[in-house]
Amino acid sequence: MITKKILLSFPQKSAGQPMAMELIKNYHLDFNILKAFIDDNIKGTLLLEIKGEEADIEAGIVFLRQNQIGVKDIQSVVEVDENKCVSCGACTAVCAVGALEMTADWSLVHHDDKCLECMLCVKACPMRAIHAVI
Amino acid sequence: MAKSYQEINEKIARGEAVVVTAEEVIGIVKERGVKEAAEYVDVVTTATFGPMCSSGAFLNFGHSDPPIRMGEITINGVEAYGGLAAVDTYLGATQPSVDQGIEYGGAHVIHDLIAGKEVHLVAKSQGTDCYPRTELDTWVKLEDLNEAYLFNPRNVYQNYNAAINGSSQRLYTYMGILQPNMGNITYSTAGELSPLLNDPLLKTIGMGTRIFFGGAQGHVSWMGTQFNTACPRDDKGYPQTPGATLALIGNMKEMDPKYIRGAVYEGYGTSMFVGVGIPIPILNEEIMSFVAVENKDLYTNVIDYSVPKKTKPNLKKVSYAELRSGSVDINGKSIKTSPLSSLKMAREIAAELSNWIKKGEFFLQEPIQSFPMGNAIKGLEIKEGESR
Repeated sequence: MITKKILLSFPQKSAGQPMAMELIKNYHLDFNILKAFIDDNIKGTLLLEIKGEEADIEAGIVFLRQNQIGVKDIQSVVEVDENKCVSCGACTAVCAVGALEMTADWSLVHHDDKCLECMLCVKACPMRAIHAVI
Repeated sequence: MAKSYQEINEKIARGEAVVVTAEEVIGIVKERGVKEAAEYVDVVTTATFGPMCSSGAFLNFGHSDPPIRMGEITINGVEAYGGLAAVDTYLGATQPSVDQGIEYGGAHVIHDLIAGKEVHLVAKSQGTDCYPRTELDTWVKLEDLNEAYLFNPRNVYQNYNAAINGSSQRLYTYMGILQPNMGNITYSTAGELSPLLNDPLLKTIGMGTRIFFGGAQGHVSWMGTQFNTACPRDDKGYPQTPGATLALIGNMKEMDPKYIRGAVYEGYGTSMFVGVGIPIPILNEEIMSFVAVENKDLYTNVIDYSVPKKTKPNLKKVSYAELRSGSVDINGKSIKTSPLSSLKMAREIAAELSNWIKKGEFFLQEPIQSFPMGNAIKGLEIKEGESR
């Protein structure tokens, strides 16, 4: 059994279809919905933590893609744009778990596996170099 | 053995000047002693890259046909000052845009101009006999303008407070996000690399000093606003609270967008990250002993920003070495510390300025006027009564 985090994006026509049910029934996957969001164009985004046999997860992902659902492996819901980041450190002030911290040479490093998704760093970044993927 | 500006400039011209950064010089002084180090080193470069709100640009657009006397001006939706001559304006870094608010302000327009982007210029006027046009809507680039120069009234603070929040609510400040119940401490300095901390008594930095300014060669044009040389100091003369400031001037057309960037402080406003490097000529042993300063000997105060008064409580005097260590102990509790200005970029600027000098592309300018010591700052008294 393995656990991984995936981000699903549903096009407008797929919204409302019971894809999750299929994943449980046909691929024996167990999952946690971490975040769900539907925008003004009825485009949906779903952040899942899925648990199951590696082969089942792979097959489940193939099934989702066949149904025009975007699937992206992610560790953290925030991404740091290295072209915009100046390593000022303002984001580290609010990151309570040390997912964002300064290295010995004062560069910013993002340990995305430590992120608890509080999103405060998005607001704290003066360069607006940190954005949420969901 | 004392050296003159001229002697150092002659060495720079011959490619023989010894130039090191204010971090590198610490080890040299430890190894060789102040006297020998002062003879060996000619120039020490200092730098900082952090948010400096009191910044902005003078721009001249050139005249359209028929011409306009611009009264109300916006650039990419950001209002610029219309109270100068017909096509002159001043664009302040902290001015928010009409449509995006603080997320895109004057500093972002300045960055975009330096990056060579086209910006949207809209101006209105009541129309006059000599300037008949009443409206203008066009797109311009930096290269289209006659003059474009940054004139920043207050940059490179000599020391600044560290911030903490003693209340039970999260605070959104120009010192970043401060977590409640003394959850964190923020500070903004390049410390031992910082320009004005390496020349605490302004023996070499004055009006006319040539500097690295946003990637261009600029100048110190005046003392900065809220210039406070009457601040408390240690026995050697290093300020222990916010002290001197500088007004800086430089040609935007020679700047690099990497070193001038728009910034947003959530719940506070737009600001501008400004990259500044200042060379310090090692004229004598006294100046060498000043630039040899280390973070462990530079102090500031942890100030409680939750108190909405001009004078806020001072919780603790701390050294920059303590702040850089990652935590500071206050009343028995270890509190995480975080920087707000980029030491990484400051180091890059100090190294770049060193390279310019070593290559003979940058020469030292002796100040044409020194700044006053003992200059105290005033507050603003609120006087009652409608007329006087």
